[in-house]
Amino acid sequence: MDPYEIEFIGENRVVSIIPNFTYEKIYLICGEFGPFRAGLPMNVPLWLAVMLKQKQKCRMVPPDWMDIEVLENIKEEEKRSRFFTKMPNEHYMVEAKLILGNAPEDVPRASEIKTIIKDIWDIRMSKLRTSIDTLMKSGGNYGRLDHLTMMEINSVKPLLPEAMDELYRIEKMTQKTMPTSLNTSTFSQSGSSQNL
Amino acid sequence: MFCEKVIELLKEAERNPETIDQYNDEKIRQVLEEMHSLYKMNLNDANASSDNRSLCATVQVRHTALERNKRCLLAYLYSRMNKIKTLRWEFGSVLPPDVRELLSDDEYQWFSKYSTNLASYMRSLGSDIGYSGIDLTENLKPPKSLYIEVLCMADHGKLELEDGDIITLKKNSRHFLPTSECQTLIRQGILKQIL
Amino acid sequence: MDLTDDIELSEDEEISVETVLKSVQCAWQNERLAPEILPHRNDMIECMLGQIQHMERNINKLPKTDLRACIHKMELSRIKFMICNYLKTRLHKIEKYCIPIIIAERQRIESGANYLTPAEFKYAQEYSLNMESHLKSAVLAKLPGTMETLEMSKLAVYPNLQSHVFLKANTAVKGVVLEEGLGDQDVEIELENGSQHILQYKPIAELVKNGKVLLV
Repeated sequence: MDPYEIEFIGENRVVSIIPNFTYEKIYLICGEFGPFRAGLPMNVPLWLAVMLKQKQKCRMVPPDWMDIEVLENIKEEEKRSRFFTKMPNEHYMVEAKLILGNAPEDVPRASEIKTIIKDIWDIRMSKLRTSIDTLMKSGGNYGRLDHLTMMEINSVKPLLPEAMDELYRIEKMTQKTMPTSLNTSTFSQSGSSQNL
Repeated sequence: MFCEKVIELLKEAERNPETIDQYNDEKIRQVLEEMHSLYKMNLNDANASSDNRSLCATVQVRHTALERNKRCLLAYLYSRMNKIKTLRWEFGSVLPPDVRELLSDDEYQWFSKYSTNLASYMRSLGSDIGYSGIDLTENLKPPKSLYIEVLCMADHGKLELEDGDIITLKKNSRHFLPTSECQTLIRQGILKQIL
Repeated sequence: MDLTDDIELSEDEEISVETVLKSVQCAWQNERLAPEILPHRNDMIECMLGQIQHMERNINKLPKTDLRACIHKMELSRIKFMICNYLKTRLHKIEKYCIPIIIAERQRIESGANYLTPAEFKYAQEYSLNMESHLKSAVLAKLPGTMETLEMSKLAVYPNLQSHVFLKANTAVKGVVLEEGLGDQDVEIELENGSQHILQYKPIAELVKNGKVLLV
């Protein structure tokens, strides 16, 4: 999948905004939202929040987790633990990119937050690279990766799955090749290489 | 050596993954010529000496070369077929003349049939409910409202946008505007894009 | 969420459009990431197309500058993108794995468990015929003697069901048997609800098709 497709999926997440206009409820296919009351917070899908923000029709309300203290704790936990920490939500990077990108003025200490989120991403990516290394060296054809988000998983495609495919293919061929001495009748030897 | 020409064909086909080259009629003709002559030689040898074992190896080698040539020719066509398909998705059912030139007549015929098949499938979507608004060759990227952030360099009064919104362009004010609607003002220096 | 639910409107139970939309999204995700073609979800697609048609009619009645029109248009273009991408992905698989898909589908049609919609099957057959006829006229007919026969089975490209995929378990699943690479021992694992894994597609293919896991 491409990153923009994952961003597309992440844009369905519901976030909070404060509209500067008043409007009755809207009935979208993905759900009902509203009514819109100027100055009062309400929930809409992220894609709609971005659209309204760009039209200057609302302020965005940063999600609870977009807070220095919360993020520092997550960062510490991520550094400390061998495993991947459970992130505040499945699409934290998409939310971060779109909210901080379109509405930095609505997020207190936005640039610090941007930095911490990037740090957390870097720590997780580094952990991922190490895990992949271990996985491949142990000849693995199976791995468990709880708490990795879609965007993070996507970053190792196609490298990791294709490497594992290749490893499997090599192992299978090793099994199938019977040790034989070279003789003139190898040409007529039956039953060897089959397409996988 | 046998099969060298056909490998050149394959290299040509794979050289530019993004574009399609001219259909190489001449090389194909040469490969076919080689195949015909190999085949003939084999027929002669096979008929002439059914007892003579020493020719067996020669016949075998020629046969293998023939099979290889056939396989490679088909691979050449197949590789081009895949590129031609992307042309349909990129250009629609009518190819620009300079692209059309790159295809052989057979390939153009195949392109037309592919195009018709695709169109017929697309028409069937939603046909049960009488809806015809789905064109698979569009809707390629997730939609994004294409806005850019701009800084207003000079007072410019009110600007009415396509969707009816009216914004006031005062010096040093910042706005998010649809890309398409800013271009002129950016060129005039009234707005400056903030990157 | 069980992807095998048909959309039935019974007296007490209605499946909301919202649910259908979510199912379409899962179907799209799985189809994008699975190496083989998955069973079609035409019922859901038709339902969404109906919704889109209905919405478009309503939007056209609103003035162009109406904010609601803008918002609905954006949502519709998102849904259209997803549906188009889903159908396109299927078409590309049909084209790539044309020959084995047609063979397998013929058998599946007999048992009523077809993976392709009738329109897709027709597309596949037509595509295969066109390919055959092109190869024949462009090259094969010009070959010497008996070489002009086309062995379609040799042209067949098979999806790699052993390729590795990432998945998330929507529910607890026991008894997934993994083939061990080096050793001869097969390993049985359990997928906890919500857990994520990377493993070969083949052992979990059925779980994708019945909605117990989602490819990510």
